[in-house]
Amino acid sequence: MRLLHACLVLMLAWPLSALAAADILVTAAQGNAGVRDFVTALRAQRPTDHVRFTAVSELPAGHRLKPGTRLILLDLAALDWRLKQAEGPPTLALRVSRVQASRHLGDRRPSYLSLLWSDPPPARQLRLAHYLLPQARRIGVLYTENSRFLLDELRQAAKALRLEIIAQAWPDPRDNRPLQAVLKNSDVLLGLDDPLLYNATTAKHLLLSSYARQVPLIGPNAGFVRAGGLASTLSDQHDWLAVLDRLLDQPPAAWPRTLYPERFRVAGNQQVARALGIEAIDPVAAQQAVAAGEKHR
Amino acid sequence: MHLGPPPSRPLVLLTALLGGPAVADDLFVDSQALPQILTATRLRQSPAAVPGSMSVLDSELIRASGARNVPELLRLVPGMMVGYGAGNQPAANYHGSSVNDARRMQVLVDGRSVYRAGLATVDWGDIPLALEDIERIEVFRGPNTVSYGANALMAVVNILTRSPADSHGTRLKVIRGQRGIDDWYASQGLGWEGGDLRLSLSGQQDDGFDHNAQGQHYRDGRRLTRLSLSASHALNAEQSLDWQFSAKEGSEQRPYAYTPVFPGVSGAGANADVNAKDYAASVRWNIDLDPWHSLYLQGSALHWDRQQVWRACDAAIAFSPQLAQLWRLNPGYTERLARNIDAPIPPGSDQEQALAREVRQQWHNGGANPVCGDIDQSTRESRLDLELQDTLSLSDSLRLVSGVAYRYDRADSQTYYDGSLDDTTWRLFGQLEWRADEHWIVQGGAMFEDTRLAGSSLAPRLAVNYLITPRHGLRAVYSEAVRSPDMFENNVNWSYRVDNLRPAAFGQRHAEYFVTTRGPGDLDQERMRSQELGYNGFFSEIGLSLDIKLFHDQLTGMVSEPLRNNRPIASNANKARFTGSEAQLDWQLRSADRLRLTYAYVDAWASNPDDRHLSARNSGSAGWLRDWGRGWSSAVFYYGDDALNQYRFERVDLRVARRIPIRNASLELAGMLQQRLDDEPTSNWQNRYDSRQVLYLSAELEF
Repeated sequence: MRLLHACLVLMLAWPLSALAAADILVTAAQGNAGVRDFVTALRAQRPTDHVRFTAVSELPAGHRLKPGTRLILLDLAALDWRLKQAEGPPTLALRVSRVQASRHLGDRRPSYLSLLWSDPPPARQLRLAHYLLPQARRIGVLYTENSRFLLDELRQAAKALRLEIIAQAWPDPRDNRPLQAVLKNSDVLLGLDDPLLYNATTAKHLLLSSYARQVPLIGPNAGFVRAGGLASTLSDQHDWLAVLDRLLDQPPAAWPRTLYPERFRVAGNQQVARALGIEAIDPVAAQQAVAAGEKHR
Repeated sequence: MHLGPPPSRPLVLLTALLGGPAVADDLFVDSQALPQILTATRLRQSPAAVPGSMSVLDSELIRASGARNVPELLRLVPGMMVGYGAGNQPAANYHGSSVNDARRMQVLVDGRSVYRAGLATVDWGDIPLALEDIERIEVFRGPNTVSYGANALMAVVNILTRSPADSHGTRLKVIRGQRGIDDWYASQGLGWEGGDLRLSLSGQQDDGFDHNAQGQHYRDGRRLTRLSLSASHALNAEQSLDWQFSAKEGSEQRPYAYTPVFPGVSGAGANADVNAKDYAASVRWNIDLDPWHSLYLQGSALHWDRQQVWRACDAAIAFSPQLAQLWRLNPGYTERLARNIDAPIPPGSDQEQALAREVRQQWHNGGANPVCGDIDQSTRESRLDLELQDTLSLSDSLRLVSGVAYRYDRADSQTYYDGSLDDTTWRLFGQLEWRADEHWIVQGGAMFEDTRLAGSSLAPRLAVNYLITPRHGLRAVYSEAVRSPDMFENNVNWSYRVDNLRPAAFGQRHAEYFVTTRGPGDLDQERMRSQELGYNGFFSEIGLSLDIKLFHDQLTGMVSEPLRNNRPIASNANKARFTGSEAQLDWQLRSADRLRLTYAYVDAWASNPDDRHLSARNSGSAGWLRDWGRGWSSAVFYYGDDALNQYRFERVDLRVARRIPIRNASLELAGMLQQRLDDEPTSNWQNRYDSRQVLYLSAELEF
């Protein structure tokens, strides 16, 4: 009798649990420690869902994935794979920057894809620069053909803050003249997350030159702040898990085509601030001030 | 209580950096693995935390000034006294002391001292360096032998050239103007994977001053050609190698300045021109052991070659061995005899009188005949310098800079050293910076130096900075500094061997001139004690930076005697005292306007009159730089000294420039007008111009 009761309960509950528990497939080129840590954290965040990781190379074709699956992409290899599939589940693409998306997708925004930008929003970075250096009016921005499309947006944001964007194309990072030109005419340098400009090869000269001219660098990411930039906004795993938690609660049809996370933190380099004669950076106060600016837009 | 192992230093710093829990393995944060580049060892103090007064002349200021030599740029530094021995002998001294030499100031080009090894001076016009290659000049106004070594007594001028990585492309420039101004510059910079190089060629020419005090043409023009190579190589992420090579060849006019000692000599040489060649090479190996520990090893070699052979005329008696013997016995007696050779023999000792009688006899037996001969006053000086400097960040608030240096100096000159002379110097130095809290910074250190010829010395230094905010600081500095007497002052063996005598003197075609001088050989170091109170602030809201300094400097054991062969030999008998105040204001009003003001009040006292000449009680500068848009820019500077070597100096410089973009190139045309506001000679009674104005034009093409 007990067994029958249990079977009945199970049968009645089966459709409900199938509706509530989603199958979440996380994919990336490799399942390294960072990916495993993220999957574990997502499982903890979504205990009722079935979260699993499969490397891109082991994925079946998109149409063979179980209906109702939600796909989470963690790198460009995964994004490329998804773009090649004619059919497949609704997809959240993480760790892709606007410049990378522009290169891989152009202006296409497939309906099955939500792009969750990894680069800090330019307007947010601008607010941070304005908060930390209120006297800075001329914001130097280096760009390549890949990142040129961000300039209009940046200029709009700058206008609202009464700042001036000094844009300078830097087509060949081996030739430092554009860098010198922009540093000469700017109060602060705002780094766009364009890997052609801000990478391990250019970092040394960029940071040494900006410091020599006492022009602080804001952005483009936490790696540059650690290397010698002044500060940047960033969203870490904790912030992204909160974003995912909210999106996964929604039906995929409601997912936005693109999204910047509303949750972020501020990373500041205190040693650099001190050497530039800037007040010590209070990351919490800076985050609150920048977030308050976004709310009052 | 044991709380387990302390967290590793990288983790602690990273945590501080990101203002929260460590996120090193965060999939969303560490997408780029970059090394720490602006490390604790690379970062310097903010201006408010600098343990002393510093003036920085940036590239914008250098260009706007229109200056053609470094001393003219130094007019923008408060307290810097800029004068001219002649048109081709500019001199700069901080607060004062002797007119002709920068004896008490250290001058470095990319860390390489250009203070001449043998002759106690800096040949500003001969440094193998084009102004166009300078990125900025940092002037440390005050003694700092701890950081810069001996000779950094009253100030340090640290000239930093543009890095090769920032010199890519081609620059061509010509300057033409009145007073024979004819300069040119060409540079080419290129880069490759892991390296950059710049080659610069330049030339400079002008006529110097127009006439001397007698209204005659003043022979003080100059012409020079320079070559400079600068390269940097990234060996790997932690190591880099920089090297430079510079050479300069030029000629400097010198008037014939010899006045015959004996009467009845009318012949004279035409000039005493100098051919000057300068060579410099340096290699620097930078090693970052980790973000908290870096060191560099720098080696440099310099060579100064001054060829000065001139023809002089005097009576044959000037080459009398007996007269030379009398000089060695009693120079004063000999000078009295020589200047009045027809007068009765002056009273003296028996030996002096006996020699004087012999000389008098020679005078009447052909000694009065005029003879002319070649004087070779050439010098060759060489220096080898090795320095190892270690920067260690012991904690977030404690940094130690220490090092050891070795220097070998050699001077060759028949006239000055009767052959050659060399000296070796060892130096140990260390400075500790301790940031006690966010307001207080204590910086102290010492330098120990031992030179073979002048002995050893120790110079301590202590500075306390109080930061009201990170951009506003008060400072109190006490420092001691030393200057070792150079080989010339201490060990000169000055005699003229005259060749090619016509007619022969006492049957000789080659003979020794009777005047000889020997250095004392036992001079001590000059010692400076300096006290300073200062304020440095940056008002970021209005873009204004301000530096104010009150100072009291005392120099003892000064070697003040001018370097002449008929004057008393050098001694440590002199003293000087400088008290006063300085202010420096730099105001970026808007992006288009920049105002710059400097002022110095110097109350100078010196026991030796020669050390009083180059101290103006009031001096200063005012500048306004403006960008008018559409490529137009202008700069107006006023420079004034109330009495430099007794002469007032006031000048207004106006530079108007237009930058014209031409496809991928940029052409700048500029006009420069210098207008003197007074009719005084320039710092020396011989230095006079025909006109108060000078105009020169420049064209510069960059692509």
